Amino acid sequence: MVFLFGVNFPEQRLVSRALQTFYGIGPNVCQRLMARFTIHNTAKIGDLGDRQTNDLAAELSTMTLENDLRRQVVDNIKRLRDMGTYRGRRHAMGLPVRGQRTRTQIMTARKLNKIDRRG
Amino acid sequence: MSMSICLRCLKRALILPELSSSRAAFSTSASLHANPTKKKAVVPKTLAKAGRTLRLAKNKRVVTARPPAAGERKALRKKVVLSNTNALEVPGLAELSTEIVRDGAQLKALEGKVVGFGAETAEALRCLEGFKPGQGWHLFRRPAALLRKDGVEMGEAIQRAREEKTVERRVVFGDKGSGKSVLLLQSMAMPYLQGWVVIHFPEARDITNAQTPYEPVQTADGKTAYVQPRYIASILSNIAAANRALLNDLRITQQHNLPIPLQSNISLTRLVELGANDAQLAWPIWQAFLSEITAPSQPEKQGGLRPPVFVGMDGVDHIMRMSAYLDTDMKPIHAHDLAIAQSFTAMLSGKTHLANGGMIMAATSGSTRPSVPTLDHFLARAYALGHAEPLKAMRDALLEQTKVTVYDGDLAPLEQLNTSAMHPEVAAQVLELKYGIHHLQENDASLEKLQGFLQRFKVRLPKAAVWDAYLPKDENVVAVMESGVRVTKVAGLSKDEARSVMEYYARSGMLRGSPVTEGLVGEKWTLAGGGIIGELEKGTVAIPSRQLCATKGRPRLASAPAGILDFPFDSAQIRDNITALFMASIMTVVLCLV
Repeated sequence: MVFLFGVNFPEQRLVSRALQTFYGIGPNVCQRLMARFTIHNTAKIGDLGDRQTNDLAAELSTMTLENDLRRQVVDNIKRLRDMGTYRGRRHAMGLPVRGQRTRTQIMTARKLNKIDRRG
Repeated sequence: MSMSICLRCLKRALILPELSSSRAAFSTSASLHANPTKKKAVVPKTLAKAGRTLRLAKNKRVVTARPPAAGERKALRKKVVLSNTNALEVPGLAELSTEIVRDGAQLKALEGKVVGFGAETAEALRCLEGFKPGQGWHLFRRPAALLRKDGVEMGEAIQRAREEKTVERRVVFGDKGSGKSVLLLQSMAMPYLQGWVVIHFPEARDITNAQTPYEPVQTADGKTAYVQPRYIASILSNIAAANRALLNDLRITQQHNLPIPLQSNISLTRLVELGANDAQLAWPIWQAFLSEITAPSQPEKQGGLRPPVFVGMDGVDHIMRMSAYLDTDMKPIHAHDLAIAQSFTAMLSGKTHLANGGMIMAATSGSTRPSVPTLDHFLARAYALGHAEPLKAMRDALLEQTKVTVYDGDLAPLEQLNTSAMHPEVAAQVLELKYGIHHLQENDASLEKLQGFLQRFKVRLPKAAVWDAYLPKDENVVAVMESGVRVTKVAGLSKDEARSVMEYYARSGMLRGSPVTEGLVGEKWTLAGGGIIGELEKGTVAIPSRQLCATKGRPRLASAPAGILDFPFDSAQIRDNITALFMASIMTVVLCLV
C-alpha cells in the first residue's frame, strides 16, 4: 500500500486511475502529470520509485484539489450572486444558467445549480 | 323481613355511578377516543418505471473458482507449445545442422523441403522468443519449417557475411501470414548453429506502446534519449539464456564505466546476467555488451575471440513512426529517440559497424500493421525497382541486339520473367513489351518501327512507389532506408512448395481425409490467396491455438490435436461420398431390374 497525497493505494492500482480519484484531476491533467514525471501509461502504483512518488506528491500539493477547489467553485457562485448578475440569480433559483430551454429538461439544473454547490 | 330490592340491583347500586359508565359492553369506541392512533404520513413509494432503471442485481457474477495468480493469464496467453505427442513422427525429416548450414550445396539441396530444428536450436530459439504463440507449432511432433528460396538466400548471405566479414542489412516485408517471422526464425537458427551471437527483439511493438517504464537520459551530443530499463533487462536475459554456451568462453577486453565495479576478466555471460537481474544497470550494460561484441576480434587474448553477430527484429514498422510515449512537455516521442530503438536503427543503417561481420535483419508486421507511409513508400519502391530495373536492362539489351532484322533480339529472358510475383503495374508493362515485340514480328514490321517502339517504351514505377510531394516525409526513416538496406518481399509459395508442405502435414497425420493430389494442392493454394503459407495452414490443418484457448475465458488444452477437432470433410471427400452413393443407387436399381 503506497501513500500518495494522503490516500493509501494498493500496489496493483493503475497510476492513472489512482490520480483520477482526486477531485480536480481528470484524464487530461492526469496525462500531463504522468508525462511530466515520465510515468508510462500502464504503470502501477507499486512500480513507482520513491523519487517519482515524492515528486508526484509535491506536484499535487501545489495544485488546487479537493476541498480547496470545491471552495473555489462555491466562492465563484457566491461572487456572481453578490454582484447581482444574471448567472448568480439563476444559480439561486436552481434554473439553467447557460441559456438552455426551461420549458422542459431542467432536471440537472434543479439538482446541481445551487449557491452551495456540492462540486 | 325480605328486602325490597334484589341482590343484583343492590350490587349495581353499590357500584359508584361514575364507574358505571354509559358505554356499551364489548365496545371499543371509548378506548379509541382515549387513544387515537396517530395517522402515519403516507409516503408514496417511488415506483420505478418498468424497464427504465439499471438493475445491477441481475448481473451479479458469482465467483466460485479461485482467481488466477499474478502473471498466470499473461503466461497462458504467451505460452508456446512446440510439440504435440498425438501427431506422428515424420520419418526422414531433415534437420538443420551445422554442416548443412555451412555447405551451400547441401542447403540448396534442401530447398523446397520441410526442415526441422534440432532440440538445442529449438531451445535457444525459444529463449529468444522466436516462436510466436499464434503460429502452428503446437500441431506437430517437433518444430519444423519449410526452407524456401528466401531462406536459402539468407543462408548464402550469412555465409558471405562470415567469409568477407561484411554486414548484411535486410528488411523483409510481405502480406499477413506470408511467413516473414518464420523466415526470421530460420535466419536466426542458421547463425546460431555456426556459433554467432544471436540477438532478437521479438516484438518491436512492446518498445513503442508505452507499457514499459521509461527514463530520459542525456546523450553525448546534448539530445535527450529515453531508456527503457525493464525492456532492456528482459532482452538481456533472453540473450544470456540463448547464447550461454558461447558467451561463457568470451571475456571482456575493454574498460567500461559502469555504476558497479566489474572484475577485469568477467565472462560476457556474467556481464549480461548482471544487466538482466538489475533494471537500473540494464542500459549501461547493454552499451558495454554491444561495444564488446562489435569490437574487433583479439584471438591472442584469452576470451578475446569475437564471432559475428546476428541481430533480428520482428515488427520493425512499429519503430518507424511516433511512439505512444510523451515527453515532459506532453509532446509525442519519435521511436528513434528511444535508446534501444536507436541502437537497432544505428546497426541497421550501418552507423554502428560490426567489426567481425554479421547480419541485421528486420521483418515488418503483417497483422499488427500501424500506419507508416514513409516506410511503405520505401518498401514499395524497392520492390518495384527490383523488377523494373531488370526490365529496363532487358529493353536496353534488345535495343542493342536488334541491329539487322526484327527477329534478332533474344526474347528468352523476357519470356522467363515470372509476372505473378511482380507488382501488377510492372507485370502489365512486361506483357506490354513482350506482346508488342511479338506483334511487330508477326506483322513483319520494319526495323525502324521496332526500334521506335523500344525507344518509346518507358518503364514506369507504380504509383505507390512514387512519393507524393505534399506529404511530410519522416526524416529518421529516410536516413535508415536510404543507407543501402536490401529489401525483400516474402510472397506466396509456389505450387511445388505448397505440395511439399501439405505432404509434411499429411505425414504428420494432421491432414486427414484425402491424399495429397494435384487437385487438392491447387485448391488449397488458390484458397490461400496464391499460396500464402499462413492461410494455407489455416485452410488445411490448423485451428490456431488462440482459438482453441479462447472459449469464454476458460483455457482449454492448447495442445489438443486439430485432427480430432478438425471438421474432416473437404470437397474431395464430399465428392467421393456423393459418387459412392450414386454408384450404390445405380447398382441397387440394376439389381432390382435383374
